[in-house]
Amino acid sequence: MDSNKKYWKGLEELNNDPEFVEKNKHEFAEPIPIEEVLSGAGLMNKTPRRDFLKALGFGVGAVTLAACQKVPVHKSIPYLIKPEEITPGVANYYSSTYDGHAILVKTREGRPIKVEGNPNDLLSKGGLSAQAQASVLDLYDVNRLKNPVLNGADVTWNETDAFVKNELAAIKTGGKKIRLVSSSVHSPSTLAVIADFIAQYPTAKHINYDAVSYTGIIQANKNSFDKAVLPHYRFDKADIIVSFGADFLGTWISPVEFTSQYVQNRNNKSLQNKKMSRHIQFESGMSLTGTNADVRILIKPSEEGVALVNLYNQISGATLPGTKKLNNVNADKALTLVAKELLAAKGKALVVCGSNDVAAQVLVNAINSLLGSYASTIDLDNYSNQYSGNDAEFVEFVSEMNRGEVDAVLFLNANPAYDYHNGSAIKDALKKVRLRLSFSDHNDETASLCNVIAPNHYYLESWGDDSIIEGYYTIVQPTINPVYNTRQAEQSLLIWSDNAVKDYYTYVRNNWDKNLLAKGGLSGQKGWETLLQTGFVNVADKANGTYTFTRELNGVAQTILNQSSQSEASGDNKLEVQLYQTVAIRDGKRANNPWLQEMPDPVSKVTWDNFAAMSPADIKKFNLAQFDVINIDVNGYSIALPVLSQPGQAQGTISVAVGYGRTMSGPVGDGVGKNAFPFHSFRNGTFQTSAIATFSKTGDNVILAQTQTHHSFEGRNVIRETTFKEFLKDPSSSSGDERKHKKYDDLFWQDYEIEKKPYNWVMAIDLNACTGCGACVVACSAENNIPVVGRDEVRRRREMHWIRIDRYYSFNNEEGKSISEEQEISTLKDLDHVSVVHQPMLCQHCDHAPCETVCPVLATVHSSEGLNHMAYNRCIGTRYCANNCPYKVRRFNWFNYWNDSRFDNYLINEHTHLVLNPDVTTRFRGVMEKCSMCIQRIQAGKLKAKIEKRPVKDGDIKVACQQTCPANAIVFGNRNDPDSEVSKALKSERTYYVLEELDVQPGIGYQVKVRNTAELEA
Amino acid sequence: MASHNESIIREPLITGSDITYAKITTDVLRPVENAPTKAWWIGFSMAAVGACLWVFAVSWTFWFGVGSWGLNKTVGWAWDITGFVWWVGIGHAGTLISAILLLFRQKWRNSINRSAEAMTIFAVICAATYIVAHMGRPWMFVYSLPLPNQYGSLWVNFNSPLIWDVFAISTYFSVSLVFWYTGLLPDLATIRDRATGIRRRIYSVCSFGWTGSVKTWQRFETVSLILAGISTPLVLSVHTIVSMDFATSLEPGWHTTIFPPYFVAGAIFSGFAMVQTLLLVTRKVLGLENYITMFHIESMNKIILLTGSIVGVAYMTEFFIAYYSGGEYEQYTFLNRFIGPYWWAGCMMYGCNVLMTQLMWFKKVRTNIAISWVLSIVVNIGMWFERFVIIVTSLHRDYIPSSWAMFYPTWVDLSVFIGSIGVFFTCFLLFIRVFPSIAMAEVKLLVKSSSEQGKKKLLAEGHLDPSHAEFYKESLTKFDSVDLSEYEKV
Repeated sequence: MDSNKKYWKGLEELNNDPEFVEKNKHEFAEPIPIEEVLSGAGLMNKTPRRDFLKALGFGVGAVTLAACQKVPVHKSIPYLIKPEEITPGVANYYSSTYDGHAILVKTREGRPIKVEGNPNDLLSKGGLSAQAQASVLDLYDVNRLKNPVLNGADVTWNETDAFVKNELAAIKTGGKKIRLVSSSVHSPSTLAVIADFIAQYPTAKHINYDAVSYTGIIQANKNSFDKAVLPHYRFDKADIIVSFGADFLGTWISPVEFTSQYVQNRNNKSLQNKKMSRHIQFESGMSLTGTNADVRILIKPSEEGVALVNLYNQISGATLPGTKKLNNVNADKALTLVAKELLAAKGKALVVCGSNDVAAQVLVNAINSLLGSYASTIDLDNYSNQYSGNDAEFVEFVSEMNRGEVDAVLFLNANPAYDYHNGSAIKDALKKVRLRLSFSDHNDETASLCNVIAPNHYYLESWGDDSIIEGYYTIVQPTINPVYNTRQAEQSLLIWSDNAVKDYYTYVRNNWDKNLLAKGGLSGQKGWETLLQTGFVNVADKANGTYTFTRELNGVAQTILNQSSQSEASGDNKLEVQLYQTVAIRDGKRANNPWLQEMPDPVSKVTWDNFAAMSPADIKKFNLAQFDVINIDVNGYSIALPVLSQPGQAQGTISVAVGYGRTMSGPVGDGVGKNAFPFHSFRNGTFQTSAIATFSKTGDNVILAQTQTHHSFEGRNVIRETTFKEFLKDPSSSSGDERKHKKYDDLFWQDYEIEKKPYNWVMAIDLNACTGCGACVVACSAENNIPVVGRDEVRRRREMHWIRIDRYYSFNNEEGKSISEEQEISTLKDLDHVSVVHQPMLCQHCDHAPCETVCPVLATVHSSEGLNHMAYNRCIGTRYCANNCPYKVRRFNWFNYWNDSRFDNYLINEHTHLVLNPDVTTRFRGVMEKCSMCIQRIQAGKLKAKIEKRPVKDGDIKVACQQTCPANAIVFGNRNDPDSEVSKALKSERTYYVLEELDVQPGIGYQVKVRNTAELEA
Repeated sequence: MASHNESIIREPLITGSDITYAKITTDVLRPVENAPTKAWWIGFSMAAVGACLWVFAVSWTFWFGVGSWGLNKTVGWAWDITGFVWWVGIGHAGTLISAILLLFRQKWRNSINRSAEAMTIFAVICAATYIVAHMGRPWMFVYSLPLPNQYGSLWVNFNSPLIWDVFAISTYFSVSLVFWYTGLLPDLATIRDRATGIRRRIYSVCSFGWTGSVKTWQRFETVSLILAGISTPLVLSVHTIVSMDFATSLEPGWHTTIFPPYFVAGAIFSGFAMVQTLLLVTRKVLGLENYITMFHIESMNKIILLTGSIVGVAYMTEFFIAYYSGGEYEQYTFLNRFIGPYWWAGCMMYGCNVLMTQLMWFKKVRTNIAISWVLSIVVNIGMWFERFVIIVTSLHRDYIPSSWAMFYPTWVDLSVFIGSIGVFFTCFLLFIRVFPSIAMAEVKLLVKSSSEQGKKKLLAEGHLDPSHAEFYKESLTKFDSVDLSEYEKV
């Protein structure tokens, strides 16, 4: 129904004004000043309120709409077609070989990020050295050569091949010599390739050259038993070990394997069987092995020979002609007792000597033969292939070059321009060689003198095999596509020798199919696949034959004694120099590895430098001070090194590490320390590692970057040690037997009831097994993305390692009492009787953690599984937790180590980031970090168990430090599982907790150090 | 407040002749109402250079990281927290003077409380900058405040003494600021009344419309008393809580139950020394000798002597307890203060704080302006070293000898510290330019009752014991250059 009513809004509408009618036609009653606004004039006008609101509304609307615009999304497609074996986020492990040890390479999304020992490895049962742990980083070294180099310019492989083949052909026609110089090759397939190469080029010869050589032992065995090999030493079978300067736990021949053998007679298990071996070390400088010895006797290098002669006399009862008494009273007394002990342990004794002198080693053979060591502790039948270098051959090679007889030389993993004692002779001689070729993947000291560099693959990119013990064959398989345009050296040799097999993989395959698979009872494709999974085949050991020494010794004794008197330093400012390798850097081939450079030396705790180690008495005598730089001169070659006061250094000697002073290793290793290789000399057919040096003060002073600067434990019960004798009487001697302690009720601590939870992650560390080698430090760095901070920062005491090994010296005074307090030590006259203890120290995951209560923001909290967590994102960096940590294990990110140009050379570049463990975040500056007990591994283990619908089994989860420990000194596990290895270990009478009196309830139990210092106390 | 005449044998709190309300106003406002003097400019430019150095050094730290300081894995706090505790300690005198002395009706406080309170504010600002600057991630500072957040139940750690610190310092700062500003109101109104133009407008706003009515004054008095009541526990609590940063920890040398009273005494000790340092200069430069008299100087010296001795007893107690406890680590820490590599810092601490202040038993020392000034600086040096010794010497050699390390400051450490002194003086010098450095209104209260004039009037009235009168006159010549000729007349 229509309404008749008319509604109107104003009089205008009612009256129908013409003006109103006109206006009503438009949408807006008043004209919109669009034109004005656009012309700019409108902006000058005063904006009416409505316009303002309109503009506001429009503005907000427009911005909202604009914000709805999709932001471009960059989609990265890691796997368009996912490889079957790769699941993003899940690690794959491939078996391979590092230096003869079977390893597992952990890869994530196709890139190797960690190297771990293969738990089934016969030699070290899963243990690995620091060098092996660090080796993965070298894969991503941006300083590796990216292409083959011909006369200084990058070329293609075709050009290289054309040039090399041409040259080789010409040389073959010319009939001049071709020499392939390599460090000892122990890969069966590589040796076969070399043999094929030599067959093609008959003037070629393969020379094994080791920077640190074992020719002395090899030649001695040839002389004594007609077997030119390195024996396989069996420290596990020895009840008494006497070493003359052989650092078998640190650097000598196969230290990881030896460590694993050595601790078998000293670890918790052995002690529970009331058994412990005895170890007596005669040496000049304090070696890692020396720090572990039960008795350590200081001798100068020149006294070593005389000592051996005397020991032989004592054991044989005969007297070699020309025998003289040792001037060293302590050593002389000790030798008599040592001889008695050795004879008492006949058949279970082992004498080793680090000397590279043939005569000395012949005498050692004679001693070992008298002691019946062959067939028990020394195995000459299942011998070691690890070193086969022949020093005389190499010296002859240098003169061949000088005589112009050599037209081609190929360097494979050898760098004599740096590590030969007369590097300049190599430089000069090489000028006379037509084709100089290096397979080095760096433009190193030798490669830079070559006209061709054919860069080799890194071992993680290679196929191959290895055999360091006769009968034990391991496989090398690639874990990544070659990072750069490199080619495997064996492949190059195959191509240049026109081998029928063009491809090294096929070559290795053929070699195994034909020769090696069968030894492990494998065959065919299936056998090969099994091999790739297990990583090795092992032939049952041959019977270890008895060898009796029958040669005449008069001449040998004469040589030794002559040499001793020649190498005795006499006169002012003359000292005997003893050259050694450090555990981290060894012969310097890996000098460009920042993890190794920053790894504290196990004995001196020095990083990033070598130094002149002198005894405190000598430093006083020559009026020197710690860190004074002295010039050490041997036959005209001199280097300036800072002095380090080394307790336990024989008076009258200086120890200097080789492997430093690289000039062309890359930005990390260049200029670190000074090169001591030129101090080597070629005497009696071998390279000798001692020399007579003149030293002089330079007046300079260089502070070495040490991670530990206080060396005594001040009598604190942080370190607890006992003797084997005491231990036999009372297994809990000096441990304080924590089990008998009264437990007090917690007044202030919320009861976590951790014992009712399924897991309580704890650790046990056996101080008697730990040798202090430092492999755990590097393993931890690799696993947990720990930044490298460089020399200056270490000097400021800011290294970031989550685990460190504390090394303490204590001294025996005249009455044989142990002195460990600085005040008392300073009054001691004789600092030669030093004993050493190593203590791995890491976050103790205290149940009453002092760090947790003081954090203002709850960035560090306790887990229900007994762990102390760190929430990096929450941390504001007050450092209160670090101050309140009695163990001082917390590490602060003082700088942004992952993005600060000052730390560029270490881990920050496009490729080295690839080595980072994606399961562990890198930490930004200003946050605290510390050991997490490898929480990522715990989590992975728990997830795996969950998927398999079972609880976590003991041994499922191994933390990084534990995994690599060659001594098995670290046991990790669940304390709430009474059958777990760690629970059992913690129940041992020897267990104590560091600073337990603070009632912080640490989660790491240590087991008392036991010294077998029975009757022999020289 | 007091309307009675004060006993003649009390020394006057205001000296000088012809002290009238107007004269006080003119004297006190001279630096506020006139162009700055040369001395001010020299002082200000030096302080400003220091402040710029601070800005530079702190920016450097923020840009590169705390690593630019000399700290390391063992010594996680050094000059930063030393500086923090030092400044907080200095800040204690102001509140003590304004609150506790007010409650105890110590009228001599009236001449010094304004500057002392200003000093408190600036010292606490300096301390607060250290708290932020020492953080690894200062931009995450908010995490230390209990703010509602999107993380659910993620809260601050109420167990941590650092959180108590956050509360203690911020409360202390805000209460001190309010107290100080309330006291300023009548004086600001005075300035307003005398000023013209823009200054008048500014001071008008600042004085919150002060009318000077009886009711206003009454409320003013009441508020002052209430604030004094609130502040008094703060004087004790702030440094108690600061001391708990150390006392509740596990470190030998820190873990000490005596710390709260020991720190409070030390704070008052250093605070008074700082007030002394500043006022001895201010009274000379601004010509305020009539208001800040020898009586004040001596009184403050007495408090310094008292608190210094308390601190000395605390030191001895620490050593005794270390010996008596039989705690191996504790004993070593205290021995290490003398035989360790930082023995010189220990000597500075014990020498400056205990031995030097004992000189103040002698009245001649207490009343000698030059010596007092030197001693006040010695005390502040000593107190800085006390904190350095407690923090660095304890940390650098604690439980595990392998981690023992030395601390070496870098140029940044040094610049931040010197810079913070620059910031402090910049603020202080600006303060005396814009605010009256003596509480005029409160000093005026003293004129009638306790000033020299008041006493003179008493003498003129002649109802006094002549020996008292004699004693009084003697005391005037003894310390101050008062013209006695006028007294001859009475």
